[in-house]
Amino acid sequence: MSNLHQTFAALGDATRFAIVERLLKEGELSAGEINQGATITPPAISRHLRVLREAGIIEQRIDRQRRLYSVRPQAVEAISAWTQSYHEFWEGSLRRLEAAFLKEISRK
Amino acid sequence: MNELRMERRLPADTKTVFDFVTRPENVAKWWGPEGTTLPEMHLDFTRQGPWSSVMMNGEGKRFKVTGKVVAVDPPNLVELTWAWHDEQDVRGRESRVRFEVRPDGSRASVFTLIHTGLPDEESAKNHEMGWMSSLNKLERMAH
Repeated sequence: MSNLHQTFAALGDATRFAIVERLLKEGELSAGEINQGATITPPAISRHLRVLREAGIIEQRIDRQRRLYSVRPQAVEAISAWTQSYHEFWEGSLRRLEAAFLKEISRK
Repeated sequence: MNELRMERRLPADTKTVFDFVTRPENVAKWWGPEGTTLPEMHLDFTRQGPWSSVMMNGEGKRFKVTGKVVAVDPPNLVELTWAWHDEQDVRGRESRVRFEVRPDGSRASVFTLIHTGLPDEESAKNHEMGWMSSLNKLERMAH
């Protein structure tokens, strides 16, 4: 749970959220590729990448001279499990509620 | 958005529906998704005070959730606080659940479940899309 808290804190920033979105869409990218078309400075990009890495959302791999970044599947799974926990609970419960209720009143 | 809202139309008057969603012997019949059991439950929503439940899934994993009934207005409204506990039994952030029952025609009622204050609120303020939609989007993209 505390990990997830860190995940949310890191993704709460619009720039970092956009970086994660691009990595999900395009797969592994270098810092330079991530920066293409962006208006922020390379040091700022590095800082965002570091925050995302420390929160366990992305990982880096060194390929010759380049650092390549990608989203860690575990991070997405954790987010997905969390968002589903409420929805799944109520969706499932209400389905059962309806079925049990109809059974109950048909007995009367 | 950081609110979950679901509705079910049920063919009975509000009192019958209200009893079904608040009385402990009835709540036990539907609380928790399919495939879960309830090894522990104190689910009396007919009065104000604490409630708790431990659900267990098919693999034996336990999920504990607790809160307080903070408002009861039969046969129309119940309001609860809600928080999951983690594996170390530390209670997580609190959210709020409302059950609303209103008549729909002469022989039917609509039951509405509203879960608000889901733990995305703080971040939602900084993000125009709201957390839920952002996360859902991330989730969709990942699949």
